[in-house]
Amino acid sequence: MEASTCKQDLLQKKKNAVLVDGVILNGPITDSKAGGKFVEEACKIIMEEIIQKADDVTEKLASSLLVYPMYPSLVNRDQHSVERASSHVHSVTACFSSIFSDHPRFFNQLYAGIDYYSLVARFITEALNPSVYTYEVSPVFLLVEEAVIKKMIEFIGWEEGDGIFNPGGSVSNMYAMNLARYKFCPEIKEKGLSGLPRLVLFTSEECHYSMKKAASFLGIGTENVYFVKTDESFKSVSRRGKMIPEELEKQVQRARNEGSAPFLVCATAGTTVLGAFDPLDKIADICEKHDLWLHVDASWGGSALISRKHCRLLHGIQRADSVAWNPHKMLLAGIQCCALLVKDNSDLLKKCYSAKAAYLFQQDKFYDVSYDTGDKSIQCSRRPDAFKFWLMWKALGTTGLEERVNRALALARYLVEEIKKREGFQLLLEPEYANVCFWYIPPSLRKMENGPEFWQKLHQVSVT
Amino acid sequence: MAVWGDLEQPGADAAAGEEFLRAAFHVLLEEAVRKGTDAAQKVRAGGGRGAGAEGVGPSAERCPQVCEWKEPHELRELLDLELRSHGESADRLLQRCRDVIRYSVKTCHPRFFNQLFSGLDHHALAGRLLTETLNTSQYTYEIAPVFVLMEEVVLAKLRKLVGWDCGDGIFCPGGSISNMYAMNVARFQRFPESRRQGSRALPRLVLFTSEESHYSILKGAAFLGIGTDNVVLVHADERGKMIPEELEKEIERVKSEGAVPFFVSATSGTTVLGAFDPLGPVADVCQRHGLWLHVDVSAGETPLSTPSPTSPHPPRSVLQAAWGGSALLSKKHRHLLAGIERADSVAWNPHKMLTVGLQCSAFLLRDESGLLQRCHGSGATYLFQPDKFYDVTYDTGDKTVQCGRRVDCLKLWLLWKAVGTEGLEQRVDRAFSCTRYLAAELKRRDGFQLVMEPEFLNLCFWFVPPSLRGRQGCADFEVLLGKVAPAIKERMMKEGSMMVGYQPHGARPNFFRQIVTSPAVTRADLDFFLDEIERLGRDL
Repeated sequence: MEASTCKQDLLQKKKNAVLVDGVILNGPITDSKAGGKFVEEACKIIMEEIIQKADDVTEKLASSLLVYPMYPSLVNRDQHSVERASSHVHSVTACFSSIFSDHPRFFNQLYAGIDYYSLVARFITEALNPSVYTYEVSPVFLLVEEAVIKKMIEFIGWEEGDGIFNPGGSVSNMYAMNLARYKFCPEIKEKGLSGLPRLVLFTSEECHYSMKKAASFLGIGTENVYFVKTDESFKSVSRRGKMIPEELEKQVQRARNEGSAPFLVCATAGTTVLGAFDPLDKIADICEKHDLWLHVDASWGGSALISRKHCRLLHGIQRADSVAWNPHKMLLAGIQCCALLVKDNSDLLKKCYSAKAAYLFQQDKFYDVSYDTGDKSIQCSRRPDAFKFWLMWKALGTTGLEERVNRALALARYLVEEIKKREGFQLLLEPEYANVCFWYIPPSLRKMENGPEFWQKLHQVSVT
Repeated sequence: MAVWGDLEQPGADAAAGEEFLRAAFHVLLEEAVRKGTDAAQKVRAGGGRGAGAEGVGPSAERCPQVCEWKEPHELRELLDLELRSHGESADRLLQRCRDVIRYSVKTCHPRFFNQLFSGLDHHALAGRLLTETLNTSQYTYEIAPVFVLMEEVVLAKLRKLVGWDCGDGIFCPGGSISNMYAMNVARFQRFPESRRQGSRALPRLVLFTSEESHYSILKGAAFLGIGTDNVVLVHADERGKMIPEELEKEIERVKSEGAVPFFVSATSGTTVLGAFDPLGPVADVCQRHGLWLHVDVSAGETPLSTPSPTSPHPPRSVLQAAWGGSALLSKKHRHLLAGIERADSVAWNPHKMLTVGLQCSAFLLRDESGLLQRCHGSGATYLFQPDKFYDVTYDTGDKTVQCGRRVDCLKLWLLWKAVGTEGLEQRVDRAFSCTRYLAAELKRRDGFQLVMEPEFLNLCFWFVPPSLRGRQGCADFEVLLGKVAPAIKERMMKEGSMMVGYQPHGARPNFFRQIVTSPAVTRADLDFFLDEIERLGRDL
């Protein structure tokens, strides 16, 4: 594919070979015909090795992980051909075919499965390789992002709002934290935090760990994240892992008494481990009372909004100031697909984040530059993550997406009923979402007394 | 229970899905990959074009080339963006795919010169398609065994090119975030308590970067709670390179104010002018003052200073080499980054010059004491369990501020395997040659005026239309000249013939910034580029 054969042909054909610094510029350096063929062949491999095996439960999900003859010299100076590169695609898929996140028995993370429409959309965006900063470079994907954000906002229950797609829920949470901080004290953007009162934020003890990482990254400090008790710590049948509003009130008061500056509460709609939904209405009451920004991390649970049956889990979400929602989880949109939605309609995102770089966001363009929305991001180049969600939505319609959510929760419900019926399985708590948490107690432990030795042995069971 | 009847079968039709996938793939291959990269497109008969496009004659039919311009309200109508309650047929969806491709800008086209990335590499594309299909997150070995290992190997290779035998690093979602990582790690290294207590507990921290640096440094300072007022923009010379003496002056000034300088970001390849900060002298300054040197080689902006080996708290300098970093692959041109091995950290974006595809941004660290892990790790028990059945040091995800993270290494790895380091070097050398050719051609033609001799791939120039020639001394010359680039840009976009960026810069009125990275670009495309500017600007 490279220049060696091309060079000779060119020298023969062209009378005036244009040579600059020893490089011939008459022809391209790559053979696009061979390249196209390579992509075609690679896709055949992808189709056969991954897609077609995807829903086949007779295929192994994982093989022995530690016995890879991994590439000792992964990058070397060999001359390569199309065939060699093709065999690399084969090798990677063969090795990776041991981990199928689209296998029906892959239950390891909060994402799984394959959606063909989203995959097509992702293939298209990879082929087009756009960057969603300005309308001139990315007209379609900017407008698509705008439409998707608008639709998501509708499901939250706001009449208007703003938003942006980010590289991950953790980053969405950071955006929200920074926005809340900016709203609290806009000068921090210029002056920084040095010498300011101690900003404090509140979140559930069951929250996602990105809260701590965000606090550290943003310069707020992990010790200024106050964790609010949940009902999990209570030995009651109704415990779910939800934040206790009265405890939140106590923490806020405590922070005020210490002379610090509370500014943000982050509630979780669908916690990572237990799948708990914080009581948003009550939390919103407290936030309103104390004038605190309410962010809802609905990265996992947000997709329940699409289901008329299950959206009650997020009752009160319209009172939030910002919401993080990741369609790449339950809606199978494909990694990454993460939105931060903001209720504010006064361009807060832009005011908080813009830097107005003159080389990218020129004001004298020939079109309406308000379409150049890239400046509300902390990123410069940005992937068109909304598009895969859009195409999938077009393909399935809201009803199709709703069925998907309902089915996932029905499957969870089935599993819970089965667990209750079978000996040796014990539920941690009654789930209200898709997280089914349980212990498997092997026969050897079933007669053992419930004490420290029992728990220690049980702890080893899932590891093995 | 009868209620579970619906769960007997899978909830999605895999056969129909696969059929759609196959059909869509053909559309994609034809419309986006093949046509999108083909410069030999027919043009509008009235346009009278032909020069520069190989084997092309006037044609009655107009085919989109680099772009097919539509006003936003028009495009909204055409795309029918609304999301409804019911789904659509496969045929309708395939038509949507065609429309999306049609109205999208072909950044893979040989005449797309608008940004610091362009072009399409088929191997990297195959890698990207594979990445999408496998759809995994790069946090633990159990979930992404191949990619955890692969990332380490690729990062080690990049570090080797920088001049480090060991070190650390991670792939980030973009150069802006890589630069933020550098800032945060530098802050943590200097003040480990900052992680827990935050910045308010620290003295006022100040960082330094060139006035030519990328705006992500300012955004980063705001985001990290340092504050944009505490970013000192050091003067650059007429070539756009940071002046080390000015850096020294500013550091002294800041110290005398009682603030604490902690970080210098040098740039290897600034975004507009493509300037390379003098890394050796900048590193000397950083060493003297104990500052972290980061180099932005990602198309980078910020200068990096190198830490002092004798200082107890080696200064941190970040080298922004996001743009210019790929010059390290070229034996001929790597001298531009001489001194880079003295940096503490480097941000390098292969998605720019190496046409690997967005995103591919490496944050590289010289430190091998686990600084990145200490700075960011939180040991979440649901993901990074210490009692796993394999060696958990392979669970590298905790070094990042992200949780779920895309696999960005495969596309680069596959490309590298396909062409080898030599192949990559050829591409870099070729890009330089294209720029030299263009600069030489430009000088020969009337009406073209270089802003400055390019050191890198940024070719900055004015086109002076005939009506303005000879009027350089006039009072309104610069104002009128500033209107030329936007007007030509509008015309080229509405014709779809090519795309190139422009911007003002300091006191200079709008000029074009031409960038060649794609290996598909030929002399004919470059000649076309100049011809087209002349044609579109002739009557202004």
